[in-house]
Amino acid sequence: MSQSADTVTMASVPSGSVRRRWRLDPHRLVVLGVFTILALPLVVTLGYALAGHWGASLLPDSLTLKWFVELWATPRFQAAFVRSLLVAVGALALSLVLILPVAFLAQTRYPRLDSWMNGLILMPFAVPPVVSSVGLLQLYAGGPLPLVGTPWILIPTYFTIVLPFMYRAIANSLRAIDVVSLMDAARLLGAGPLQAFFLVVLPNIRVGVQIAIFLSFSFLVGEFVFANLLVGTRFETLQVYLNNMRGASGHFTSALVVTLFAFTLVLTWLGNRQSGQDLAKESAS
Amino acid sequence: MMPSTAMSSPVYKEGPASMPFNSQSSGEATSARDVVDAVSPPRSDYLQLEGLAKAFGATRVFQDIQADIAQGEFITLLGPSGCGKSTLLRSIAGLTALDRGSVRIAGEDISHLPPRKRGIGMVFQHYALFPNMRVADNVAFGLRMQRVEREARRQRVEEVLRLVELEAHADKYPHQLSGGQCQRVALARALVVEPQILLMDEPLSALDARIRRHLRDQIRDIQKTLGLTTLFVTHDQEEAMMLSDRIFLMHQGRILQQGDAEQLYTRPVGRHAAGFMGHYNLLDARQARPLLGHHGEQGQVALRPEALYLVAHGLDPVKSAELPLNAGPGCHGVIRRRRLLGNVVRYEVACGELLLNVDVLNRSARHLLDDQDRVVVHADLDEVQELGA
Repeated sequence: MSQSADTVTMASVPSGSVRRRWRLDPHRLVVLGVFTILALPLVVTLGYALAGHWGASLLPDSLTLKWFVELWATPRFQAAFVRSLLVAVGALALSLVLILPVAFLAQTRYPRLDSWMNGLILMPFAVPPVVSSVGLLQLYAGGPLPLVGTPWILIPTYFTIVLPFMYRAIANSLRAIDVVSLMDAARLLGAGPLQAFFLVVLPNIRVGVQIAIFLSFSFLVGEFVFANLLVGTRFETLQVYLNNMRGASGHFTSALVVTLFAFTLVLTWLGNRQSGQDLAKESAS
Repeated sequence: MMPSTAMSSPVYKEGPASMPFNSQSSGEATSARDVVDAVSPPRSDYLQLEGLAKAFGATRVFQDIQADIAQGEFITLLGPSGCGKSTLLRSIAGLTALDRGSVRIAGEDISHLPPRKRGIGMVFQHYALFPNMRVADNVAFGLRMQRVEREARRQRVEEVLRLVELEAHADKYPHQLSGGQCQRVALARALVVEPQILLMDEPLSALDARIRRHLRDQIRDIQKTLGLTTLFVTHDQEEAMMLSDRIFLMHQGRILQQGDAEQLYTRPVGRHAAGFMGHYNLLDARQARPLLGHHGEQGQVALRPEALYLVAHGLDPVKSAELPLNAGPGCHGVIRRRRLLGNVVRYEVACGELLLNVDVLNRSARHLLDDQDRVVVHADLDEVQELGA
């Protein structure tokens, strides 16, 4: 597929003038092609969100920010946005509190736990959301945690979604720093287990954990299936709101999609910047 | 012929010198222990290991470990990988729980203390430096845990970094240092808290040969200056012989032999000891009769390859001045293989049913013998080790 893309583009490029300025190697062409395919719908959506009216003509009649202004001023959107943030932050906090100690123990004292966890983290992929949501509704219908009908049910639900990402990221970070030796060294130098963990282990896995959190966060903000199935009617998250607004003005929903995308992009960029800085620090030596 | 591989290391028996950075630093750094050290003579049973045993499930890691170690002594635990030496070290440090036995320092049983209360410093094979801290902070960590105040801390870190010649690198992060420098930081970090015992778990194994030799000498110098009782784990026989006052040769979880380098190298106690040290020829006594005369009938004998003598066929062995006084009868053979190790040439010689390794000093290329050359092999009967059954 990459080859055909090459030849097509090569043929359409007038050789000579362009080639002198920047070399068109096949590698760059493939990347450019993929990027175009991925970016095209988004660019068009952005155009639609910025268009005053876009009907019969090839290009919009006028450009305006009024759809964005209208969207951001809508209380229902603001509420959905806050809810999405709240649920995502809650789920991530819960996952951090639960997964960090488990991953730490699996890498230090109970190696068998690691293989258990490796099986367990496949479950969210193996079980389709429609199935697991039924299970989750049953689980939280009664018992010690009757969460059905409340928005709080999304927090333990989202925990199961981010579990694989968080666990793998934390476990890999721990393995990369040879956590057992670090703990041994700290303990021999007089540190208690908690001191050793907070002074020596945590600072060294911080970057890995941060990246996992940012990526999981952007994923959760875009989550629709569970939110809609579990609490969709009474608790609108961003994606549920988007779904409910699909009958409204296309310009309006386009502005909503672009806002969501920009938000996710910023988060992902923040996450990647962390890892990039870390790499730069490594190679500086 | 004095083969170069047989090196005798002098045995150091020095009293514990006071730590140099103690005397320089402010008075509060001097602990009660140092005062005691200054008064009492070094005791020969400073560190006592009594009947230590450890098993992981059904596999026994080590057992019946019994040893008295003098104050200021440098002990090497030598053995092949998997012989339990690293686990033994970790057990002494308290990082791995013992099944049986007790560890005593200066008569006090420390077996049930957590690692941080044992007064033991440890250096790991892969340094285990804290990546998030600068060199100075790494070294200061132990002092921080002891709540030593900032100024005294800074002073002692500076002194110990000077000791390992790293004062110029105090502000660097571990990933900016070479392997040898990292290991010196690790050593400084272990030394700064003035441990009673220093444990080193294959500290040189991850380094390249040149740095390994340099750091080896540096470790020994620092250990002697500080008079620090040290246990050093290695699988490298040369390292063990160069460094140690005494070597504990370990095999399958037991200490086979304790002794200085010369004892271990020239008088191995058994088959396994002889098999690990040097490149001993291990022969059945009956098989070896043509080489040794009527030397013994039972069990096995061990012959060092440098204690065997080669005479090219056709030369008169009696006229050859190179034979030892107590040479065995000549045993005719053929050279099967020649390997040049550098200063030593190792010949594989087939004498009837015997296959012998013979080391000859590589004095001149003119004296090299070729494959299939016919030779006569003589053994130095004074150097034959009888190993029993």
